[in-house]
Amino acid sequence: MSEKLRLRALLTALAVLAGALALAACGGDAGDDDEEEVQVAEAGPAQGKLVISNWPGYIDTGPNGSVAEFEEKTGVDVDYIEDVNDNAQFFGKLQPQLQNGESGDRSIFVVTDWMAKQMYDLGYVQEINRDDVATVFENLAPQFQTSNLDPDRKYSIPWQSGMTGIWVDTSKAPDIRTVNDLFDPKYKGQVTMLTEMRDTVPLVMKADGIDPTEASKEDWLAAIDKIKEAADSGQIRRFTGNDYTEDLTSGNAVASIGWSGDAYLIGNKNAEWRMPTEGCMLWTDNMVIPVGAPNTGAALEWMNFTYEPNVQADIAAFVNYVTPVAGVQEILRKRDPALGNNQLIFPSEDFTANCTAQVNPPGETEDVQEVTEAFEDVVSG
Amino acid sequence: MTLRRRFIPYALLTPGALWLIIFFLIPMYFMGEMALRSGALETGGFTFTWEWSNFSEALDGRGEQIVRTFFYTGTATVLALLIAYPLAYAIALKAGRWKLLLLFAVIAPFFTTYLIRTIAWKTILADPSPVVDLLKTLQVVPEDGRVLATGGDVIAGLTYNFMPFMILPIYASLERIDLSLIEAAKDLYASAREAFLRVTLPLTAPGIVAGVLLTFIPAFGDYVNAALLGGTNQAMIGNKIQSLYLVERDYPEAAALSFLMMAAVLITVLIYIRLAGTEAFMGDEDEED
Repeated sequence: MSEKLRLRALLTALAVLAGALALAACGGDAGDDDEEEVQVAEAGPAQGKLVISNWPGYIDTGPNGSVAEFEEKTGVDVDYIEDVNDNAQFFGKLQPQLQNGESGDRSIFVVTDWMAKQMYDLGYVQEINRDDVATVFENLAPQFQTSNLDPDRKYSIPWQSGMTGIWVDTSKAPDIRTVNDLFDPKYKGQVTMLTEMRDTVPLVMKADGIDPTEASKEDWLAAIDKIKEAADSGQIRRFTGNDYTEDLTSGNAVASIGWSGDAYLIGNKNAEWRMPTEGCMLWTDNMVIPVGAPNTGAALEWMNFTYEPNVQADIAAFVNYVTPVAGVQEILRKRDPALGNNQLIFPSEDFTANCTAQVNPPGETEDVQEVTEAFEDVVSG
Repeated sequence: MTLRRRFIPYALLTPGALWLIIFFLIPMYFMGEMALRSGALETGGFTFTWEWSNFSEALDGRGEQIVRTFFYTGTATVLALLIAYPLAYAIALKAGRWKLLLLFAVIAPFFTTYLIRTIAWKTILADPSPVVDLLKTLQVVPEDGRVLATGGDVIAGLTYNFMPFMILPIYASLERIDLSLIEAAKDLYASAREAFLRVTLPLTAPGIVAGVLLTFIPAFGDYVNAALLGGTNQAMIGNKIQSLYLVERDYPEAAALSFLMMAAVLITVLIYIRLAGTEAFMGDEDEED
């Protein structure tokens, strides 16, 4: 008898525990109403601890690096972590925390335009008051003053920018000049494309003369169909993240859709980044301040700091992507003319004339979802 | 005294039970609950609505990937067994003083992380590489063919990565065999082949069953091999779940698909144990007691 009672007590306790957990779970989801009011990052003195999440290899490191310089200058203790490898995965990792208004102690993330926009729409990032980042707007290069997705730069401050085009092994496929050449049966099984939908699909559309900024959902789906056919026929070897650099290095691929700043990752001296004749895709990775960020004062100060041309020159010289800070080219020209005159770091207006800034698929949430699903069915087919 | 003795088994059970409750049952509950939600992250999140259609949607159009996953995993398991058994046999019964060294060699790759081991294959099997050249000369790979980014190398990767899970249990069961039983079989005029088939193999059946389960189950959910070694149209169901969760952000469908795959594995394993485990093999072991 007492045994039975004890069992019942145990079961009751478990049921209560499960119920409590279920309630807690529901409670977490019920916070939808709070999303409406947008938080603005609070200014304050630069001190204490600052946690920054960035992509790997995206800053000059070491005892003389920019992080150390900032620490010395301000006394802020910076924990700089390189844990953003992929927009979608980073979002997937942090989404449950962000939903509860927590940032995992981080005060700054660096994410690409569309992801920044998505986080903003979900109420996961704070707005930034222009006056608090005066140095940023003083030095922000003109072409970065607005963006397709954040026209007034309310929440996203460019970190670095870049171009998506074609990396070509010139010894094996010298004649590849447009994205359509990637569909040439001559190169069957030797071309790769990016898993990043907002790079690959618009490039394919551009090659067929469609302007991605005005493309309809049907245009997106048609381009995805074209990619699917090439994937099914074995024309496309694989869809990659940054690891296309490895396929170019080992000779598995003769041409890959890829990013302009990856030269140092490709151990193949014949590899060359080419601007497709129809133009490239332009994207920007942005600093955003997540909800629940501690020490926003130091975060804003960090933004200002990285926009000082001298500091940015160090970063740009190391990173080799496109810097959003005006005045850096002059500094680098003096330091290292080859770097200062590199079209991939300081593209001229002519060079990028046909390029398009990254866009989202058009339409409502369901439309974007439909396009994403269609593309994912090809990528993980 | 008796009370205490009664209490001891429960006390011993507690850590394991708690572990299972916290890290298996509770997550399962949340996963089940998520699988029945509807909505979208962008439009206010997912709400619980008993959305059973998630399950049919999860399977919709995924037939090819599910069949492929069974095929890759099944082939890898069979290959691993065919390679592991002779190896374990040699280590356990023929290696003599090399036994420890060979065992160490089986485990040694595990000192490197899974990811690095898999990436290493990409270097070894790159299109222009001596290994692939050799395979082409031997006509194993066609002249214009390749090894990387094919279904074959995904299977090879799975086989390689889960091999120790096959070798070790088989080794353990071979090691325990009383050699006099084999001698006795031979005294009773069994040929070497018969002695193996009727004595050694049945005695090592538990090892084989354990090895097959330890290989098949984790390999089924694996997505690293297909992601790194596969090409287009070579994704396994693990890759699909990853993409549903991280890229499409359809958490309910990802949860539903995970559930269905768990059920598929469970059913496969049950059928397998029923066929191979209890009756055909374990039965013999009991008789011999």
